[in-house]
Amino acid sequence: MASHSQVLVEEKSSVRILTLNRPSQLNALCLDMISRLLQLFLAYEEDPSVKLVILKGQGRAFCAGGDALPLVRDIVQGKWRLAANFVTYQYTLNYVLATYSKPQVSILNGIVMGGGAGLSIHGRFRIATENTVFAMPETALGLFPDVGASYFLSRLPGFFGEYVGLTGARLDGAEMLASGLATHFVPSTRLTALEEDLCKVGTSDPSFVSTILDAYTQHPHLKQKSAYLRQVLDVIDRCFSRRTVEEILSALERETTQEPNDWISTIIGALKKASPSSLKISLRSIREGRLQGVGECLIREYRMACHVFKGEISKDFVEGCRAILIDKDRNPKWEPRRLEDMKDGMVDKYFEKVEEEEGWEDLKLLPRNNLHASAMATPKL
Amino acid sequence: MSDNRALRRAHVLANHILQSTPPSSNLSLTREVCLQYSPPELNESYGFDVKEMRKLLDGHNVVDRDWIYGLMMQSNLFNRKERGGKIFVSPDYNQTMEQQREITMKRIWYLLENGVFKGWLTETGPEAELRKLALLEVCGIYDHSVSIKVGVHFFLWGNAVKFFGTKRHHEKWLKNTEDYLVKGCFAMTELGHGSNVRGIETVTTYDPTTEEFVINTPCESAQKYWIGGAANHATHTIVFSQLHINGTNQGVHAFIAQIRDQDGNICPNIRIADCGHKIGLNGVDNGRIWFDNLRIPRENLLNAVADVSSDGKYVSSIKDPDQRFGAFMAPLTSGRVTIASSAIYSAKVGLAIAIRYSLSRRAFSVTANGPEVLLLDYPSHQRRLLPLLAKTYAMSFAANELKMIYVKRTPETNKAIHVVSSGFKAVLTWHNMHTLQECREAVGGQGVKTENLVGQLKGEFDVQTTFEGDNNVLMQQVSKALFAEYVSCKKRNKPFKGLGLEHMNSPRPVLPTQLTSSTLRCSQFQTNVFCLRERDLLERFTSEVAQLQGRGESREFSFLLSHQLAEDLGKAFTEKAILQTILDAEAKIPAGSVKDVLGLVRSMYALISLEEDPSLLRYGYLSQDNVGDVRREVSKLCGELRPHALALVTSFGIPDAFLSPIAFNWVEANAWSSV
Repeated sequence: MASHSQVLVEEKSSVRILTLNRPSQLNALCLDMISRLLQLFLAYEEDPSVKLVILKGQGRAFCAGGDALPLVRDIVQGKWRLAANFVTYQYTLNYVLATYSKPQVSILNGIVMGGGAGLSIHGRFRIATENTVFAMPETALGLFPDVGASYFLSRLPGFFGEYVGLTGARLDGAEMLASGLATHFVPSTRLTALEEDLCKVGTSDPSFVSTILDAYTQHPHLKQKSAYLRQVLDVIDRCFSRRTVEEILSALERETTQEPNDWISTIIGALKKASPSSLKISLRSIREGRLQGVGECLIREYRMACHVFKGEISKDFVEGCRAILIDKDRNPKWEPRRLEDMKDGMVDKYFEKVEEEEGWEDLKLLPRNNLHASAMATPKL
Repeated sequence: MSDNRALRRAHVLANHILQSTPPSSNLSLTREVCLQYSPPELNESYGFDVKEMRKLLDGHNVVDRDWIYGLMMQSNLFNRKERGGKIFVSPDYNQTMEQQREITMKRIWYLLENGVFKGWLTETGPEAELRKLALLEVCGIYDHSVSIKVGVHFFLWGNAVKFFGTKRHHEKWLKNTEDYLVKGCFAMTELGHGSNVRGIETVTTYDPTTEEFVINTPCESAQKYWIGGAANHATHTIVFSQLHINGTNQGVHAFIAQIRDQDGNICPNIRIADCGHKIGLNGVDNGRIWFDNLRIPRENLLNAVADVSSDGKYVSSIKDPDQRFGAFMAPLTSGRVTIASSAIYSAKVGLAIAIRYSLSRRAFSVTANGPEVLLLDYPSHQRRLLPLLAKTYAMSFAANELKMIYVKRTPETNKAIHVVSSGFKAVLTWHNMHTLQECREAVGGQGVKTENLVGQLKGEFDVQTTFEGDNNVLMQQVSKALFAEYVSCKKRNKPFKGLGLEHMNSPRPVLPTQLTSSTLRCSQFQTNVFCLRERDLLERFTSEVAQLQGRGESREFSFLLSHQLAEDLGKAFTEKAILQTILDAEAKIPAGSVKDVLGLVRSMYALISLEEDPSLLRYGYLSQDNVGDVRREVSKLCGELRPHALALVTSFGIPDAFLSPIAFNWVEANAWSSV
């Protein structure tokens, strides 16, 4: 029963409100929550009386991501296939959301990170508030932005996706709206009223939902130091469009020598702190994702995740979790240590099947009628 | 009936008059009765690993290709638009010629700023060359104008400086060219002379008093014509000209001349006019140039093979003017290499669009009230598209092989590269034009919409059959080279070596009288037929030329009279060389589904080539029964390739955004809501 109470369900006529309810862990997703959500979403899709699904989080987070500690425990005990099993469910859920035939609204009134992004960004409507903090922090953990992030990050304007995915930079609600990660911005004080209005929806036509949301939405100003301001964005585009991580770094360094700048130094610092193997596979993943459908992205990310968990090329995921989540010394010892030690051939491996592993298969996604992922309505470029 | 129609019409009219508001969405067409788009991916499955196949087809630099695809998709300069819920990038061909030229230049600036051209002239070695070729190919998939404008600058101007020039030229120009501080063009063709470069009429003399060359356009037919980049952007050009020293014509030489200053003003003693609007490639500013006794420094002669001393003496390490000319022309091979491979990528775009459409568009029912049939389920539609798909596969391997021998070239391989690149350039570009026309017709009326690309590409790529060597002239050169090889081997009584003629040293292959399905699909049989045809035609051609020469005709005139055999031979040589490349590719991969499908594709390529060539019957290599068997097998292979059609075009690795709306949800792309 515990698993059910970790996802609260409210039925309001033809609307279902799902609340992630594990506030002490910032609603981090465990396997029980994921399978419960998957079960509920699939059932609602079949149920003609359900027209709209709302997803939100209890407490100060929407969802801080997948629960990494059990995964690391499994890996350390030599059972990486259990970790792979976890992401199989998680990615399947991401795929169902990306191809969902009914509108869903995610209310992002707090922390949205990693797996939390995978749960919301693929959906039709994403509501940011003044409390929203978004980030894909995987490269600092020795992982890579997964949960379909190679699909949605690569579809952000210019090369903002590479920036967000590689540096783990935090975005606020205004930046999410400006970049297209969020579709609407609603002040948190208005959320209760918005929910009540949404519960009156009697159709699955997204334009009706849109009309309601439009009535509540605001256009907040970007902060003075926002990364989404034109002049900053130009630098991000110039640098993060480069062919390799090394070239991105040297482009950024060239920018600072021309005009010393705090925020570029922060970016460089973040890249230098992150796992070199993570940076390289993340960049490749986003670049490939730009040219692929969401299903292909998840299948590729599954291969990559399995290689990360298996740890043959690099064990940075275990090391990153140790340094950030367990020992909290924030001083991971990456291996390979330097970018140039992470050769192209090693990067290639992450994108190949896990051949030598018995019984391993590529991720098999459920057949879906609505192949066309509607995520990432392109914002104005 | 007519009453009914009149009533209905009246009803419609009444509705128009009575209804002041547009019909609400509830009244709009109901879903049940309407056609719905169903993505091909829902009904088709992949029988092999498409990523593996893509690696084989692209052959090299897959990650770099994906990078530049992404670069173009993420920029506003590449005309992003949303159709049917998907993003497409494709030039706006409805822009004026002037607008297309400016946006093409801007796109090149953008690619430059992002480091795409880094090392294109300053890095050497096969790896750097392959990367450059891959990036250029992707430019051409986006827009032929971009790749041609880039190609003229780097491969014609840049390579001319690199290969015809010496250290002083390299230091002065190469890095500046790579950074686009100078914009180069290449003035070879004249109004009066195209393929016959030796006949050009531009004249250059030397003035020892000032140590300058004087370049002159003596008559209207000597005006430089079709010079890409000359009309608007180029600052410098390579000038091909006869070099007259002390009244002696030393033949064609190459010089560097500045034609515009840094502000874009045309230099004195230069006149430039526009070539005007073209049937395609309007993003390239082709111009005409006249030189009015233009003076250039002595150092501007590209002196790798010949030089003029300051006091006006002509010196050359190559004494024979024919050989000297050959040395000049050798670097032009790179153009044929890039054209051949870009033609295949264009055919891939056309086929990916037409085949995806044919897997989602239906027409006519075969049973009363039955569902309409998917276009590609018609055997006739399969016969139209799938053999072209197989040829495109085979030629894709041929283009890759050509690139490999080009980047690994040595002085010894120059001749082979010249022959193979000539044959491949002609056959691959003809194949592209043929494919695009078939694809245009196969998608019906949708094919005439520019945004659907297949029709537009015909105009954009048509010139490929002409530039860098007219296809017919190139094919004659292939036959002539084979003739020379044959005569030289026979005369010296030496075995054949090179150009794939080694099979001539073995006895003539004997073909079985009865052709079963398994014989027809056997690579040994296929090789034997192709060898037999090449060998026999080469023997016929040489004996016919010898006969004519015996009657007192000159060798050149005998070639002209034997043009029919020459044409058959050129084609036989090239098709056999292509077959060999796909056989080699097949042999390199481990047993499995990719290899199996490639085997089917290769058999289709071999058999369709036989079916389409009347020379097999004409010269009796195959009997009437045999050609009937070939024809039946082609039809069978169509049926067997049909389930792989989607996977085969997906393996092209061309991102969705670089195809067109009819390749995806064409219902939504055309819906009223998207008007």
